[in-house]
Amino acid sequence: MSNQRQASSASQVPHLSPAELSYLYTSLSLPKTPIRPDGRSPTQFRPLTAETNILPGTNGSARIGFADGTQAIVGVKAEVEKTILSNETLASERGAGPEPTDQEGSTTAAVGGHGSWVQMSIEIPGFRDDDALPVFLSEMMRESLVGAVGTDENSDMTGGLKGRLVINKRWHWRLYIDVLLLSQPLAYPLPLLSLTTHLALLSTKLPKLKSQGEEDPFFDDDWAVAEYLYPRSSPSTGAKISSSSSRPSFVRPPVTLLVISVGENIIFDPNREEIAVADAVLAISITRDTQAGHLRLLSIRTVDPPSRLTQPGVPNSENVNMLGAVAPTDDIAVLNPVTGEEEVPGVWRPRRGGAKRSVISEMVKTVLKKGGVGEEVLEGLEGVEVS
Amino acid sequence: MPLDTSTTYPLTKLRLDGRRWNELRLIQAQISTNPASSGSSFFSMGNTSIMCSVHGPAEGRRGDASGSAGGAGAIVDVDVNVAGFAGVDRKRRAGGSDRQSSRIATTLRSAFQSHLHTYLYPHSTISIHVSVLSVDGSLLAAAINACTLALVDAGIPMPGLLTSCTAGMSGSASTPQDPRNNELDPLLDLSLPEEQELPVLTVGTTNSVPVGENNMDTDEEEMKVAVVTMDSKLHCTYVETMLAVGIDGCSQIRELLEGVIKGSSRA
Repeated sequence: MSNQRQASSASQVPHLSPAELSYLYTSLSLPKTPIRPDGRSPTQFRPLTAETNILPGTNGSARIGFADGTQAIVGVKAEVEKTILSNETLASERGAGPEPTDQEGSTTAAVGGHGSWVQMSIEIPGFRDDDALPVFLSEMMRESLVGAVGTDENSDMTGGLKGRLVINKRWHWRLYIDVLLLSQPLAYPLPLLSLTTHLALLSTKLPKLKSQGEEDPFFDDDWAVAEYLYPRSSPSTGAKISSSSSRPSFVRPPVTLLVISVGENIIFDPNREEIAVADAVLAISITRDTQAGHLRLLSIRTVDPPSRLTQPGVPNSENVNMLGAVAPTDDIAVLNPVTGEEEVPGVWRPRRGGAKRSVISEMVKTVLKKGGVGEEVLEGLEGVEVS
Repeated sequence: MPLDTSTTYPLTKLRLDGRRWNELRLIQAQISTNPASSGSSFFSMGNTSIMCSVHGPAEGRRGDASGSAGGAGAIVDVDVNVAGFAGVDRKRRAGGSDRQSSRIATTLRSAFQSHLHTYLYPHSTISIHVSVLSVDGSLLAAAINACTLALVDAGIPMPGLLTSCTAGMSGSASTPQDPRNNELDPLLDLSLPEEQELPVLTVGTTNSVPVGENNMDTDEEEMKVAVVTMDSKLHCTYVETMLAVGIDGCSQIRELLEGVIKGSSRA
């Protein structure tokens, strides 16, 4: 157990020998055509099963299971809470005072939503709540959720999650997102947790508001008329929306994808062995929130690559046991074009992290481009029946 | 809406959710739900639903703490996690675990430590992980049933299925039972509103599967009470009635679980 705790941000390093690591690295870094241990293409995800609305006691829930048996359940609960107005917002409210007619506009301007209204907690078996891995993961996912509107200052405050949680000036929703990983994390659990959270948020419904304006909120008892937190594209849901700030139905919760680079190659949804030899591990959060349906990059975070902690191999030229047994010309150190380090081919050296700019920009491009991986993932998730 | 079981029940003889006194809630059970563990199960009684996974028997990881204790047999290690979204209101927890889940974990550990044939696995640990997905009463009983299913799925030998159920009385039952004018009925399988208001008793029973010569001449299968817990106050004259009802519920659940286990091996 203490062994697990030490593996702070990256998952546990599998017990692979330097020779195995080197073999893996070589096959994954083959120019243009990486060979993955499980035969997937570089952008292919592992097969998964997904279902939504599995827990009647929550506002929205989802379960995703990967074929290797790792499963996650996410439950979203919403509570109404009184908004505590800060001095700053009070001041801006006074400024917006002269125009009380424009109710919708002044409401959203006064209370644009707050990041702390979304709370996220992750339970991973074998880890405590305050261990590094759950805390880091939940913050990584929460910041992209909340940040999805941080930049969207101009017109559609209601389009983002923070703005959506505003009921009126004095009341707001508080969203609790609880993520349960049901099995030991076999690979770095981020993609699984992120996809499950996305699905749960898609299926989240809030009761329909009956009160208007600044009244104390009062909701419709009928759960059948409840509205989706992220409005769906079906025409019935987008019924009562003022024309000025149309709540776009194409806004989707963000998805965080795990991407690794090995040599010049970019590999999506890596399994544990692949992460162990990665040069750089990136968590890229994307969302769809523009009219044209383009994807938007929300955040990129680097994840400590576990390859740093692996044991290096010893080249024959430096191995005392092999002294004189091989001709010294056998292994000549060459300069690795990617990392800029001297390496002997076939001998594993722990990666020091860091990746070329061109590789990182290529990663982002692969995610964001039209018909790229990001679009594919979002469409795949959209296809899951949300009943 | 005030819940007043004690006044409505005598009139209708129907409980808040429309059940009679001796009816169980809808039970759904499944085994082998999670391929990543040695054994796993899903169990729901009404709106109480629990997922359970078992790892092991495997070599214990804690070298120093249980090095000598594990020599005789396997150690059962139970971890109960009540999800934040399980209740009606989202529960805020400070720190790792709360009192309720650690009490359930302790009860489960002592129940299964003595129930399983642990002597077959010296120097090893059987770790059970219980995730409570939604809470609606009879939590300990449901957890015991879920663990039994998962342990069966993991193939860990035990003398018989350990099943559990709750029983209560339809009133506060603080005065001695009056044999002439008995207006209180025992209730089976309490839901959360009932559990909060009425005295409740959790009972778990096991049957030992007859082996050898005795195999043929068993007309009445032998049942043993393995677990009894009760938190509420109750006059002692009622305990026998409640136990009888609870034990009857346990045997109903046992039949259901046997069906699930036998049915899944066919598929």
